[in-house]
Amino acid sequence: MFSDLILRNSNRSRRENGLFFGSLLISIVAFYMILSLSRQDVMVFLAQMESDAVNRLLTMIPVFCGITLSILFFLIYFACQYQLERRKKEFGVYLMMGMHKSRLFTMLLAEHLLTGILALLLGLPVAVLLAELISLVTARLVGMQIIGHQFTFSLPAIGFTIAGFLAIKLGAFWILSSKISRQEIDTLLAHSSGYEKKQKPAWFYGICTASGVMMLAAAYAMSLQRRIWYETGMLLLLFLLGLSGTMLLFYGIRAVITLPVKAEKAKRKFSVFTLRQIQENVRQQSASMAISSLLITAALCCFGAGIGIAASNRPGGDHVPDYTFTYDCAENPHDVFPRLQTVLRENDLDSQFSQLFAMRIGYVRTTDNSHSVLQMDSVLESLRSLGQSADRDILLHNLRSEDYPHLICLSDYNNLLQAAGKPVLTLAEMEAAVYQDCDFTNISRTALLNKSLSTRPQVILDGNPVTLTEEIQSADLVTDRAITLSFALILPDEQFLHYTGGNYEVYINGIIRRETGSGNSLMTTISELNTRLDGIGLQDMGIKYESYLQNMGRQLFYMVAGSYITIYLAIIFLVVANTVMGVQFLMNQQKTGRRYQTLVCLGATYQNLCASARRQINWFMGLPVFVASVSSFFGVKVLFTAWLSSRVQGTREEMLWISAAMIVVLCVVEYIYMTAIKRSSDRYLLTWMQPQREE
Amino acid sequence: MEPILYIENLSKTYGQAPSQTRALERITFQVMPGEFLGIMGSSGSGKSTLLNCIAAITKPTGGSIVMEGKKLQSLSSKALAAYRGQTVGYLFQNFELLDNLTGRENILLPASLHSLVEKESLLRLQQLAYYLEITDVLDRFPPQMSGGQRQRVAAARAMILRPRLLLADEPTGALDSKNAKNIMEKLSGLNQDEQATILMVTHDSNAASFCKRILFIQDGVMFHELRRGDEKRQDFYQRILKVMAQLGGGSCHVL
Repeated sequence: MFSDLILRNSNRSRRENGLFFGSLLISIVAFYMILSLSRQDVMVFLAQMESDAVNRLLTMIPVFCGITLSILFFLIYFACQYQLERRKKEFGVYLMMGMHKSRLFTMLLAEHLLTGILALLLGLPVAVLLAELISLVTARLVGMQIIGHQFTFSLPAIGFTIAGFLAIKLGAFWILSSKISRQEIDTLLAHSSGYEKKQKPAWFYGICTASGVMMLAAAYAMSLQRRIWYETGMLLLLFLLGLSGTMLLFYGIRAVITLPVKAEKAKRKFSVFTLRQIQENVRQQSASMAISSLLITAALCCFGAGIGIAASNRPGGDHVPDYTFTYDCAENPHDVFPRLQTVLRENDLDSQFSQLFAMRIGYVRTTDNSHSVLQMDSVLESLRSLGQSADRDILLHNLRSEDYPHLICLSDYNNLLQAAGKPVLTLAEMEAAVYQDCDFTNISRTALLNKSLSTRPQVILDGNPVTLTEEIQSADLVTDRAITLSFALILPDEQFLHYTGGNYEVYINGIIRRETGSGNSLMTTISELNTRLDGIGLQDMGIKYESYLQNMGRQLFYMVAGSYITIYLAIIFLVVANTVMGVQFLMNQQKTGRRYQTLVCLGATYQNLCASARRQINWFMGLPVFVASVSSFFGVKVLFTAWLSSRVQGTREEMLWISAAMIVVLCVVEYIYMTAIKRSSDRYLLTWMQPQREE
Repeated sequence: MEPILYIENLSKTYGQAPSQTRALERITFQVMPGEFLGIMGSSGSGKSTLLNCIAAITKPTGGSIVMEGKKLQSLSSKALAAYRGQTVGYLFQNFELLDNLTGRENILLPASLHSLVEKESLLRLQQLAYYLEITDVLDRFPPQMSGGQRQRVAAARAMILRPRLLLADEPTGALDSKNAKNIMEKLSGLNQDEQATILMVTHDSNAASFCKRILFIQDGVMFHELRRGDEKRQDFYQRILKVMAQLGGGSCHVL
């Protein structure tokens, strides 16, 4: 009989409260996702390339698990509270019938365990499948033709998911059931109207609202300062201002909502009732509204920043060399290229490359000076003559400091251009072309400098006049995208050898023979070649190499570490905030359900009730979303200032637009969530209309 | 004079055969304008079902309810909503005031629901508040009022739209004797001064003694009728008690 009751109650809870069961499933999926991160294809791939960084990231997983657990606890707590509140009267009846409190507790515990186990049975397969799907989609999105995807099933992740989920569920249940067990039977049986008497004077709430708005405004103003991230004290103050400002705003806003009622502006049907309902909701749920708003702010910030970071670190598809070799043991740079060719030939690996060419890079060695070797007065002069702009000033500042440039050998650079299918450069004896990696400039600065270069300015290189010609060059010199040159001069071979005095660095670029790996992707080919290269002991011979795969791995790591985690957290924050708000609203609606019955008796139609409830939901959920949207715009700006390296700061404005677009998309998601809550509310209101519907 | 409410052969059955419960069986009566009619009966006699049928909260199984010439069963759901708020007013046993609305807002709620001209509703509110002695509590929330004040605010809410018929479901059920007498005097006053037609369900003989006519129901069937005439309230009360004694333990029901 007792077990029958448990089974029936558990089934009924699931049927009646899909939102609660849904939140349990979300918790399980979310928890498994973070725990199985190390098994994701991208991570497995990265672990081969960047094992140190990946391991460092994976050691942080417990921290993320902790954050996820505490956030999910918040979700489960409110969902459980909603469910237990609904059944308070039923518990009172059980106790009235003589059921002992310990037996009631056991019954509820068994019900919760049963629901939990069912949620695990349903949630875990969903989580495993979703993790696989995300793994595949991420791999495809970042352009990796993954080397044979394998279905991964992380047993430790499943074990920890079950343990973590049951821990938070039982923890929440423990707290809530002890709260209920302290209540007297008459309190359990009594109909709760949700009205609370203790209210402070209106001016007090007014002051709270004003203080909240002022604190938020101060936080927004602070976030606009560029150097906020570098001053810990200021950053802490910004955080505290945002936090307390939001809390105070939601605490005091009840006074503001009363104003239309008092001003008797609410002439529309039901307006007074609706406004009073909104006011009551805000009054009773101000803390959870504020927390939800902060969670949505965090979600929007994470989303914006995650997308921005992903966009800024996306590995470029336009690469020329697949391999770059370096040889440290050579006494003469001339010997490097033949040495490598010999090694490759001896090991039957030369056929793997369609092209091998050196990239010689050096400094001016004809003088002992390392300052003022290059004087670009004419370039600076022509730039100054252009209209004043921020980009011009930055360019002038940068070029002034470029007085000891790198030198690049023209024939090598032309080999690179040829391999890329681009027209080669032709330079006369006393001519040079400017090289600048695109990470150090932006489109408008490049355009400005090109304008200046079109006048063929004459500069002085170690006392000799050199004419700058051609447009700015920016092809990647080596495979490793982390090796870039901020400024260099491309010189004809004789001039290069003259200025460098035969003392330069040699990088040997290799382009893989595409047909070698026919049927395989480039990634597979490179991966296989890497294994062969490692097999012949290149390291022992003093030859190091960097493949496009490793280079991409590094890029991917930044992208995955930055965006995957932030987007994951964003989804968790968003789901939790919305579920908490939805559950809180529906819980309050049920508490005050009899009011709707009274309204029906007073002649309200179903449409009237639904319209009123929908307006309440708009306000109840819209307020936190609105505050969060405003806050997140400033939050994303702060995060960008902090996280984006100086080389992509130029594109920050573009990324802010990406984030703004994301915020708009998320507002749409909020709208969809609100619609779901409205439907749930409509269904609930229909239960009060049943007698009328019979007619 | 035409009756305001005409009920003919009204029946209501709950459940399916063979476990059917007959709550009302072929009830027929009329309510005249300005009448103060009481319906009495023991628990489960069907009096609340009768009131709910008239208030269009429950659909009868058979018979007809005709209000001012219009058959209730033929009204659309929109017309029924208007009927519930405007044609009849409903006074609940447990007041059913909305806790988060002030007394004033509670009273004006039907006015805003049925789009009554604001000036008119405010004037009516003043009149009712003065008559029902609730002027001081208009800006208080229901939990800040006494039981009697709450019921008088509820009465004002039920009367704000000048309904053709006021339906009162055990209005004294949740009140002490002093407040019960007070609310009954006010209802009686509204009946006499404003010619308000009142149909009240009660099992309180004292409250019923304020009525002009009482219908007794037993097991869903009309059992007896008492008319007060020019009789004093005290004497009428004695007669009610006698009928009630018969209803509760009449010899015909002794097994």
